[in-house]
Amino acid sequence: MYRIFIALLFINFCYSQSYYVYVAAESDDTVSVLKFDGDNFEETDKVTVGIMPTENEGPHGITIDPLGKYWYLTLAHGSPNGSLVKYSTENNEPLSKVELGLFPATMQISPKTGLLYAANFNLHGLMRTSTVSVVDPENMVEITKIKTGIMPHGSRISIDGTTHYSVAMMSGELFEIDALDLSVKRILSLDNNSNYRNAMHHSKVKPTWVTPHPNGKKLYIAGNGSDEIFVVDLESFSVEDKLSSGKGPYNLAISPDGKILLATLKSEGAVSIWSLKNNKLLKKIKNTTSIPHGVVISPDNKYAFVSVEGVGGDPGKVDVINLETLSLQGSINVGKQAGGIAFWKIEQ
Amino acid sequence: MKNKLSYFLLVSLFLISLDTVKSQEYYVKSNLENLEIEVGEVFEPSTYAVDENGKITACPNLVYYNKNGALNRDDGISVSRRSGTIRGEEPGNHKVVALCLGLTDGWLGRDFDVKVSYAQAKDLIVKLNSDQVFVGSYVQPSYVITDNYGFTRYDANIKVEPSNDNIQIDALNNIKAIKPGKVTLTFSLDNVQATINLNVVKNPINNLVLSSDLNTARTGDVVTFSTIAYDDKNRIIADLPIVYSYSGESFDKSNTAAAMIRDDGKFVAETAGKYLITATAGQRSTSIPLLVYDRGIQREVINVGTGIVQERHTSDFWVFEGVDNRDYAVSGTWGADGTTYFWDVTDPAQIRKIDSIKVDARTVNDVKVSEDGKISVISREGASNRKNGIVIIDTTNPYEVNIISEYTTNLTGGVHNVFIYENHVYALSNGERFYVINIEDPSNPYEVGMFEIGEKGQAIHDVWVEEGIAYTSNWKHGVYIIDVGNGVAGGSPSNPVVMSNYSYESGAHHATFPFKSKSTGKFYTILGDEIFPQGIDLYSTNETAGFLHFVDFTDIDNPVEVARYELPGHGSHNYWIEDDILYVAMYTGGVRIVDISGELMGDLFRQGREIGHINTGNANGFIPNATMTWGAQLYKGHVFYSDHNGGIGSSKVLPIKPDNSRINEYLDTPRLID
Repeated sequence: MYRIFIALLFINFCYSQSYYVYVAAESDDTVSVLKFDGDNFEETDKVTVGIMPTENEGPHGITIDPLGKYWYLTLAHGSPNGSLVKYSTENNEPLSKVELGLFPATMQISPKTGLLYAANFNLHGLMRTSTVSVVDPENMVEITKIKTGIMPHGSRISIDGTTHYSVAMMSGELFEIDALDLSVKRILSLDNNSNYRNAMHHSKVKPTWVTPHPNGKKLYIAGNGSDEIFVVDLESFSVEDKLSSGKGPYNLAISPDGKILLATLKSEGAVSIWSLKNNKLLKKIKNTTSIPHGVVISPDNKYAFVSVEGVGGDPGKVDVINLETLSLQGSINVGKQAGGIAFWKIEQ
Repeated sequence: MKNKLSYFLLVSLFLISLDTVKSQEYYVKSNLENLEIEVGEVFEPSTYAVDENGKITACPNLVYYNKNGALNRDDGISVSRRSGTIRGEEPGNHKVVALCLGLTDGWLGRDFDVKVSYAQAKDLIVKLNSDQVFVGSYVQPSYVITDNYGFTRYDANIKVEPSNDNIQIDALNNIKAIKPGKVTLTFSLDNVQATINLNVVKNPINNLVLSSDLNTARTGDVVTFSTIAYDDKNRIIADLPIVYSYSGESFDKSNTAAAMIRDDGKFVAETAGKYLITATAGQRSTSIPLLVYDRGIQREVINVGTGIVQERHTSDFWVFEGVDNRDYAVSGTWGADGTTYFWDVTDPAQIRKIDSIKVDARTVNDVKVSEDGKISVISREGASNRKNGIVIIDTTNPYEVNIISEYTTNLTGGVHNVFIYENHVYALSNGERFYVINIEDPSNPYEVGMFEIGEKGQAIHDVWVEEGIAYTSNWKHGVYIIDVGNGVAGGSPSNPVVMSNYSYESGAHHATFPFKSKSTGKFYTILGDEIFPQGIDLYSTNETAGFLHFVDFTDIDNPVEVARYELPGHGSHNYWIEDDILYVAMYTGGVRIVDISGELMGDLFRQGREIGHINTGNANGFIPNATMTWGAQLYKGHVFYSDHNGGIGSSKVLPIKPDNSRINEYLDTPRLID
């Protein structure tokens, strides 16, 4: 018995894994580094970001380079343009900063080009055509701005790194950009708006997120206004299915094995989990506070980490969902209005 | 477990080897290497990749850009992505980055040093104000140089040669008239030349008479010197260029006699002492003395009362008279839960928190109250629905305030500052523009106008309205003066009309206060910086920088920056002016009270114009004893303030105490200059 116990302990030791995520708190000007070991969830570092103590600079989007050496943060507010800041994951110290457009939000680095593509959400103010900024993260220089639609969001790269996708929330469009020649290749209206980039369209779909399936054949889009998840066939570049998502789908994530899809439901305070084998809802899990925002899935397909904003003075939270049991496994407080979230690494 | 560990090790090895191979596999080569081009020249680079065996491979996609460095600004080279060409814009050493996209996984590129030189001069034009110059005077020509590409060149090293020794050229190319007579000057650059003829004449000045409007002055007093030149027949010689200079000795033996003197004869001293002012014209000069005493205006400032906010950061505040003739204040909170506090400050020594209101926001950065005390408008940032906007509050009874309405249209980007003027709210939107909202019926506010400066990267941080004129603070674009109802430029709340603009180099323009000097009648705008040179730490004291720029707008079409108030080690934030006295919140430097009477010129702090100061940190504050003064307001004889780390408070400037000591007796019997 004793030997079995020792053996189990040894196995447990050998298999113990820690998962690390970064999460940005938009109304707190902080970024938290979180560690989850399967049971315990802890904040290993809290980084104050921005340069103006008396201005809320709004850290919104966060991403980590493919080698895990650097993390990148968009600061939504500037004077008035927002910016992108590069940090070292080694010590969480800022390294460089570059100005982007109005309210730069989500972003990702292409494993093919090594360039970073950030959507300038321009969430506020007048309805104007906005852009996706292309940044060389080696030198932290904005190379160009590619014109897309009204309020672009959900900046995501195809698995092979050659194509960039974003959706324009107010003009209700999907944009496909060639990540190599930096031009828009295809535009798909999600609610039959024939006039591309129409500032007066006020889309009913209000797409807020797009994510490519690992098989490279499909895209999934959150229709925040129409309470739908759109399934887009990439070959025909057309909508092949719509899933009734629940209220206010906002961000999406697909597990690396391509089997499940998670959607944060902003208006319900919940996360829905879908099987992509048959596009069926598997489970809906209530979050620990209101307004779920971002979601990332660990590379081993075991856990999903969901940022939850909260309201007013409430702390933001990160909820962990066990994707094997489809249950809430843990939660931790972070700064106010937790939003952008990025998976960093698994440590054995 | 074994399988899993092996898998893990294999994957790790693969990733490491992939990275190593990738970085060694290809190398970017280009004819950009050691390239030298001229300003205006267009160059088409040829770039490719070479593998370890020297095999050349074409890049599927090439992107060029000029590396911008730390400030992300370098206009030395422009890149046309459409044509794949680069063009020299400014001389100097620049870096061009070539990216080879699509050949490998990951980043593949290289920096190239590119030197841009001025193109050869094609045309040189030299101009002089006069073809006659006095012996002993310097000649100051101006140049227009056009290069082979038609661009105007600057900073060229032009060679000057005189035809005889009537003119002397020194090592720095200064041209001095030495002897009477005609002379030809030859100017040359590259392969072009220009000549001008000059007549050097004997200096006709027989006598210079220097006078001033004051014989003694205090530090900070602007003294005007004027000079009249007479010839040997005692006739006045008009329009002579006069050079003014000073020397001096400080009364304080360990200090320097520091002062400033301008070309127009305006002089101001920073330290008390004996000064000698000299006017020079050619070989003639004359001097007169000036005694300068300490300004002697320091007064004691005492803390009277505090209204502590312990749970969160405090932002802006406003003190006002209520409809019941009692005195009240409203203060916002920062990075918290959207709380706004209301205070009874009728007794400034007993500030009492009497009510609060919580709205859906994280920051209530600004609060303002209507002139009649009935309406308060607060700004919102960080609303959970991201609609932000403003909230209009009934303050008829500040002990029981109520929300009347909220207004979010076009203000969803967050409102950082607001102003109320004649039933209209001027509200910033997303730091880009301001909207004018009619609140005659505060339960039904509606937009009547909008203003934006229309510049690329336009930004706005603050708006202040007086006498129908709005003053906006626009960071790098400086102050805009806008008619929003005064009528002088035909403006109205629905039709804002720009009257003037002034910007300055640091680009840190954060707040503006218009100031009509009672003592001089001059009109200034006082433009404040906001700078945090070391960035931010939310939980302790921060380093601050920046100062107030005094811009003389008396001639609204020709604003002139004349003075500054800079407190060493502390940066400026919000401020208030009344009766030629400035009450400025200098963040970590507390509230500073500054005499800004009389003509203003130079560095006001160093001139001893500061009357007094008070540190506003509080032992029981949100961050104890960490002064971070946000704003100051003179109200019914008390200096009220808000502190980011402590709450609000009141202070009092005490009357001047009679000086019964004999320490300064020499000031009454000043020694004359030798």
